[in-house]
Amino acid sequence: MIAIARFQAAAYVRSLRVLHPLIVVVLVVALVLAQGPGGPDAAALAVGTFGDVAAFMFPVWAWAARALLDTQPDEQRALTAAAARHRWAPVWAGLLAAYGVNLCLGLVTLAVPLVQAVSLGSPGRAVAAGLALNALVAAAGTLLGAWTSRAVLPSPGVSLLALLGGASALVLLGLGPLSAVSVPMIEWLRAVHDGPETFVADFPGIAVHLAVWTALVGAAYVATDRFRS
Amino acid sequence: MLFEGVAFRYRRRGPWILKDVDLALEAGRIVEVTGRNGAGKSTFLRLVAGLRRPGKGSVRGRPDRVGYAPERFPVDQPFTVRSYLAHMASIRGCGADSVGVWAERLGFERLLDVRLPELSKGSAQKVGIAQALLDGPELLVLDEPFAGLDAATRDALPGLIGDLAAGGTTVVVSDHQRCIEPLPDVERLRVADGTVGALDVTAPASAILEVVVPEEEIDTVEAKLRADGYRVRRPAR
Repeated sequence: MIAIARFQAAAYVRSLRVLHPLIVVVLVVALVLAQGPGGPDAAALAVGTFGDVAAFMFPVWAWAARALLDTQPDEQRALTAAAARHRWAPVWAGLLAAYGVNLCLGLVTLAVPLVQAVSLGSPGRAVAAGLALNALVAAAGTLLGAWTSRAVLPSPGVSLLALLGGASALVLLGLGPLSAVSVPMIEWLRAVHDGPETFVADFPGIAVHLAVWTALVGAAYVATDRFRS
Repeated sequence: MLFEGVAFRYRRRGPWILKDVDLALEAGRIVEVTGRNGAGKSTFLRLVAGLRRPGKGSVRGRPDRVGYAPERFPVDQPFTVRSYLAHMASIRGCGADSVGVWAERLGFERLLDVRLPELSKGSAQKVGIAQALLDGPELLVLDEPFAGLDAATRDALPGLIGDLAAGGTTVVVSDHQRCIEPLPDVERLRVADGTVGALDVTAPASAILEVVVPEEEIDTVEAKLRADGYRVRRPAR
């Protein structure tokens, strides 16, 4: 599985497709995040940045995951499946490669906010929770991207619409009574901007919500893989 | 390997591409798959390799190590031949030294540092065959492996297939070029009319003969021909 994940990640990087989200991330870091928070609440605002980054990166992570999974030609997907020793290895490896690349993109995005939060003296537990939040949201974004990849939706137009529509729908669902079935974006944004203490207190609930959502959506993705062949 | 009542279609409620496929593939045999274009040969080969799942029926006893070489190797990948095959060797769990061994046997060592998109059709075909052979597969599925190959490799490949079969590998191959015809003990399967069956090489070949008869005699002539055991069909009006 590791070998397949390495192969897919290498193809994504060597094809330079990785530059698309990387350019977006670098621009956001340079134009928005590099300025950093100021004023008397700077330490609290620095924690809030982790939530903002997670919300901004959610569709970017989905987009990157979709692009990574779509890098290999369909026939190569068949060759990899034939070469793999285990039936489920290719599908897990694809998710692992996409998540690994998304974590790297997350590190690039969060490097500056992390330095700012530490230098401004933001509470360590809140900073750790912010990092963990991003790791969890990266997994959720990866799965949204996987569900819109070519193996699931062969038409590029439909796939792009599903990606944009899916990300928008999840945000809108989070506003209404069906927020339990969506990613808790509104909850984490509210929590990080209510101060570091509130964020740390609310984080376990948000983390469990994200973990359950990711596990269910991921299980459905893996389970339906057999219908895609 | 046993196919039991296997049927396949690409979409639910779509037409069945293959149905009622019952056959056994024995270890160490060479099986040639024939059939006209569009009959479903590639689909059948993918079912054999485990890349497609039957809509009905089951395939049992497929070996763990499967090598599959497609009709068109996907060259649109950002790797050199060496790095691509090294990745495939790693996926197959065998050492990267097998890359050099197969590059030499198939005669493309000088192309190891060429990027995949720059390969000619024949060279790409060799890379496609090499990646299928890296870990000594127990089942080797080759879809038109001779297409585009140079004469030297085309001459050498049947011997290689024979050696693999002698070592216990089941080789299933579609071959329009009839390059494996000289090999002994080749079992032949025919994909036609939505199913797969053994090709009876002892049966005489059929041909179509058109007979022009006066309209009032058409029923009489048809009855006579049917009585003599011929298959008769009337042209659509």
